[in-house]
Amino acid sequence: MSRLEAKKPSLCNSEPLTSEGVRATLSVWRGIVSSCYGPSGRLKQLHNGLGGYVCTTSQSAALLRNLSVTHPIIKILVTSVQNHVSCFSDCGLFTAILCCNLIENVQKIVLTPTTVIKLNKHLLRLCTNYLNSEACGCRIPVDFHSARIPLCLVRSVLTSKPASMLTKEEVDHISALILRTFLLTIPENAEGHIILGKSIIVPLKGQRVTDSTVLPGILIEMPEVQLMKLLPIKKSGALKVALFCTTLSGDLSDTGKGTVVVPCGVSLESAVLDQLLNLGRQLVSDHVDLVLCQKVMHPSLKQLLSAHQVIAIDRIGVTLMEPLSKVTVQKIGTQPIGSLGSISTSSYGSVKNLRTAKFGSKHFFHLIPNEGTICSLLLCNRNDTAWDELKLTCQTALHVLQLTVKEPWVLLGGGCTETHLAAYIRHKTCNEPESILKDDAGCTQTELHLVAEAFCRALESLAVSLEHDGGEILTDMKYGHFWSVQAHSPSAVNWSDLLSRCGCGLYNSQEELSWSFLRSTRHPFAPQTCLPREAVGSSSTLTVDCLTAKLGGLQVAVETANLILDLSYVIEDKN
Amino acid sequence: MVMAYRIINKRRHIGLQQLSSFAEIGRSLIGPVKSSKFIIDEESHESVLISSTVRLLENLDLTSAVGQLLNEAVQAQNNTYRTGTSTLLFLVGAWCSAVEECLHLDVPISIIVSVMSEGLNFCSEEVVSLQVPIHNIFDHMDNTFSGLETCSVTLCPFLQVSSDTGLQQEELDLKDVASQSLTNLVEVDKNTSQTLKNSLFADTCCRKSVLNHSRHFKRPDSNEQISKLDGFLEHGAANPRSYRCNDLVELAVGLSHGDLSNMKLVEEAVQVQYRNAHMKQVNSPAPFMFDISKIFTCCLPGLPESFSCICPGYVTAVSVSSTNLIKELQNQPVRLVLIEGDLTENYRHLGFNKSSNIKTVFDSMKLQEDSSEELWTNSVLQVLIQFNVNLVLVQGNVSECLVEKCIHSKRLIIGSVNGTVMQAFAEATGAVQVVYITQVNEDCVGNGVHVTFWKSNPLDVVDRNDRIAILLKTEGIDLVTAVLTNPVTAQMQTKEDRFWSCAYRLYYALKEEKVFLGGGAVEFLCLSHLQILVEQSLKKTNHASSVWLRNTSSWLASSLEIYRPTVLKFLANGWQKYLSTLIYNTANYSSEFEASTFIQHHLQKATESGSPSSYILNEYHKINSGIFNSGISDKLEHIPRVYDIVTPKIEAWRRALDLVLLVLQTDSEIITGLGHTQINSRASEGFLFL
Repeated sequence: MSRLEAKKPSLCNSEPLTSEGVRATLSVWRGIVSSCYGPSGRLKQLHNGLGGYVCTTSQSAALLRNLSVTHPIIKILVTSVQNHVSCFSDCGLFTAILCCNLIENVQKIVLTPTTVIKLNKHLLRLCTNYLNSEACGCRIPVDFHSARIPLCLVRSVLTSKPASMLTKEEVDHISALILRTFLLTIPENAEGHIILGKSIIVPLKGQRVTDSTVLPGILIEMPEVQLMKLLPIKKSGALKVALFCTTLSGDLSDTGKGTVVVPCGVSLESAVLDQLLNLGRQLVSDHVDLVLCQKVMHPSLKQLLSAHQVIAIDRIGVTLMEPLSKVTVQKIGTQPIGSLGSISTSSYGSVKNLRTAKFGSKHFFHLIPNEGTICSLLLCNRNDTAWDELKLTCQTALHVLQLTVKEPWVLLGGGCTETHLAAYIRHKTCNEPESILKDDAGCTQTELHLVAEAFCRALESLAVSLEHDGGEILTDMKYGHFWSVQAHSPSAVNWSDLLSRCGCGLYNSQEELSWSFLRSTRHPFAPQTCLPREAVGSSSTLTVDCLTAKLGGLQVAVETANLILDLSYVIEDKN
Repeated sequence: MVMAYRIINKRRHIGLQQLSSFAEIGRSLIGPVKSSKFIIDEESHESVLISSTVRLLENLDLTSAVGQLLNEAVQAQNNTYRTGTSTLLFLVGAWCSAVEECLHLDVPISIIVSVMSEGLNFCSEEVVSLQVPIHNIFDHMDNTFSGLETCSVTLCPFLQVSSDTGLQQEELDLKDVASQSLTNLVEVDKNTSQTLKNSLFADTCCRKSVLNHSRHFKRPDSNEQISKLDGFLEHGAANPRSYRCNDLVELAVGLSHGDLSNMKLVEEAVQVQYRNAHMKQVNSPAPFMFDISKIFTCCLPGLPESFSCICPGYVTAVSVSSTNLIKELQNQPVRLVLIEGDLTENYRHLGFNKSSNIKTVFDSMKLQEDSSEELWTNSVLQVLIQFNVNLVLVQGNVSECLVEKCIHSKRLIIGSVNGTVMQAFAEATGAVQVVYITQVNEDCVGNGVHVTFWKSNPLDVVDRNDRIAILLKTEGIDLVTAVLTNPVTAQMQTKEDRFWSCAYRLYYALKEEKVFLGGGAVEFLCLSHLQILVEQSLKKTNHASSVWLRNTSSWLASSLEIYRPTVLKFLANGWQKYLSTLIYNTANYSSEFEASTFIQHHLQKATESGSPSSYILNEYHKINSGIFNSGISDKLEHIPRVYDIVTPKIEAWRRALDLVLLVLQTDSEIITGLGHTQINSRASEGFLFL
């Protein structure tokens, strides 16, 4: 019985940002993301409350994937951060916090959204120009001839995700491993433009982190019993490979709707099996040594192949298919075999060698390609939760390295870039406001000062979010870097005795510097630009961030904030 | 969909509270004397008897996030090492309260995390000195075969008491001259005590320990002092060279942790494997490895405990109805077929999708005489007859009707056989595993399997489920079955669990070729080492602290030294709690408090001696040389040492601390996907909604 219900009218809210509920939600959301930020960030337990999997994380990628938000404004925010994360992997929390800070700060000033948006755009341009310019005082060139800065970059990514529960030795081990993995994906003889290979992360849960390792080639996991059946491998040297992406299980292909009527005595199953066995005979007569199948192979086909000393491995899974076809095909453009019909000899590929390997309690077939840029990173961690977090972290680190190869610069981390940038903007708006406003006649310098102050405060409170244990943040008046100090320190003390190093680790407190609280108002000063090369060389461990990802995050944050500020109506369909 | 969010560490950390209350349940599960527990379901009135952590958590309803994380950690430890879960559970509880104490004193969370992991690192490094290497253990096999039996007869009632707590217990009555002189020496010269420690380490069995402390050797004058002291040590301190284990029986008894009967079975299984391997490789003696994957258990509830034994070959239980069939098969070698999947009509290999829309029409002329099931059964039987096969091992299920039919034609079909067993039979008989019976050809059939009853009089050993045990054997098969029997069905599971935990302990000891001195010695060393660290950092004697903060440039780095002694002290309290519970559980002390004072007493002596590890080694020596004269020891001329396995133990500590620190760093709980009905109840628990 169907029932007709009157349609409810759509709900229309004007000026959504002014509502108390939206503000409260936004501030809770900001609390969640900013409490996750940084190496001492607090973790979040995400679960469905019904005994499902518990995810303990402080990474934006895992956090946002599991969250379900209802309010449209938060949805915009979440979606744009997720987009950013899917493009750059890193700096997701940075983007989210900065965006919230911008919205909150701007609401306190009485200017029309249009003006604010226009000025935000100017300020964003100022930031990106500065960060991309030679004069920038917070970026370091990356020289891939030395492992130092790339290692610092990887280590910074690893230490900023506390839920992977790594000790110092483990961080050292994993960062070296990630760098090695990355190097294995770079082709040896690169001319012109290079195409990076792929690294496959193979889970090995329950083992110690320091048992993790990386191998060139592909690992196919297999139960021990099944492996023993395929042994011993008699062949050595290059192997001829047939790679199937279709099922060889002997299923009937989908017959669609309706019923197929078969007379008694005719067996469709055996008809398909005959076809499979013919295929098997062809493979044998073509002298194929190794048959790989994404899906299931019929046991009779396997029996036939193994009787002729052909190694057959099935149920490889879709994730390994792409790297496998890269590794095994002879010519670029050859696809895995997708039909049971006759196979042209050109569709066979080859691998250099095939070995078995055992790691922890798992057994693997190890496929070693002739040449290639595919490697397998065997990643261990003590339990599921920590492993998942570590995997995500490693993926981020690998991605960040790729981005850095394209644009070989890193930004100073640990809050220093943010405070430095804020000092730079303040200085610029104070001394050369015309250069920012350019020919824009619509905004006054007072308006610029107001918005720039909100912008700088947003950057600074983003840096302050790194502190979770009640410390206070200072900034120096020469470089504009980030310094943390214990709360309630006597104000008349000699700061250089209390402080040790700035957030990124580049400067120590023994230089002749003067400090002031980041919260207090300062006289605008010009932070030192043009980072000298020798300054970078001296200090041992630096905290650095990927330039591309951070720049992307900055853009997304400002643009999303502008978009949200620009909203004047939310119209909801209540049906 | 609505998402709820709450902050869990407002005043008291809810997560830590939950965690410690879960861990509290496991108090009685550590140590050799375990009290079993009944878990009763209030609704269904069903009850389970458990005596291990894994079974405990399996039977509890752990829906809270923290409970799940705890379960995950315990399962991960169990799946990797099969042992150490009770230690893990207990330490989770102990360190939870340690962390809570730290929070009360306003120690910043990041500092707790860093100092605690550093402290545990120190402990793991320090306990290397208590490792005992296992050398050439299989050289003495023939001599000591009966050793365990004499041991088990004399020691069984006492071992649980004397061995685990023996160390501490005997210490009470004794004032050893050697340790006194050690103490004196320390008082005279602080520097020498370090050197004394070094020379002790140099003398002990482990080369690793020397490496570990090599930083002390950097002192320019230390070498001289060692040579001077050497003579003194020979007389004064115990000669630590005796800490070596090269006797399988001694090792097994040491690792039995009070469960001698099961350990005896395990030891026998090793012996059987060793002899098998020995016979196989007369010419090329590869080093023998205990292969635990070739050990199986066959549980027969309802039979007296004394029936438990080790049998070379594969023992399994079959229905009583096949008794006559077995009798007929007994005296000749039979041919066998191995089936990987189910042996039923409708079974298809994994990944095969059956089309649902195919209909078979029959010719109206010919009437169907038999059902398709019967047709299939006959065809299977025909294959078996054709290849003269009398034994079929099936990994999956078997059609009842087929089994019946085969019994009539004198063929035995056994279902639900483990994959490793199948593989072992394939290797030993030359059979090839197939999925369908139609795949069978002459090459797939194996030869020369002997089927017998497990006991010569089969009807004596019918178990609770009306099954009898049979033994399948063939030339060169390397399987060993442990037949486990217990008159009480409810205890069968416990018996099996305990057998496996013994087996894995011995396995890891042999694999790693080293064990720890057990009975709380390692934990005691951790405790006293931390105590020394606390004192040192209070006096600020060691400036070069190796504490690592993730956020190296934070203010926390500079104020770390202030909090360090406090945090280390609370970490040490965890060990103290562990030890006192361990000793209390072994029933020598009427209260945990008493046990705790007793530990304090020794802790003081150990730290005063300057080198806790040599103090412990010393005390161990005393027990073994039999100087003491307490009631129990009078009856024994030799008290076996207690050992512990190395990596699983250290990993259990690490996992426990990791879990506690993970929960500590968590500040909020986010529940996703709530329906509107659940919201009201959640709102009262302090959740916010987004």
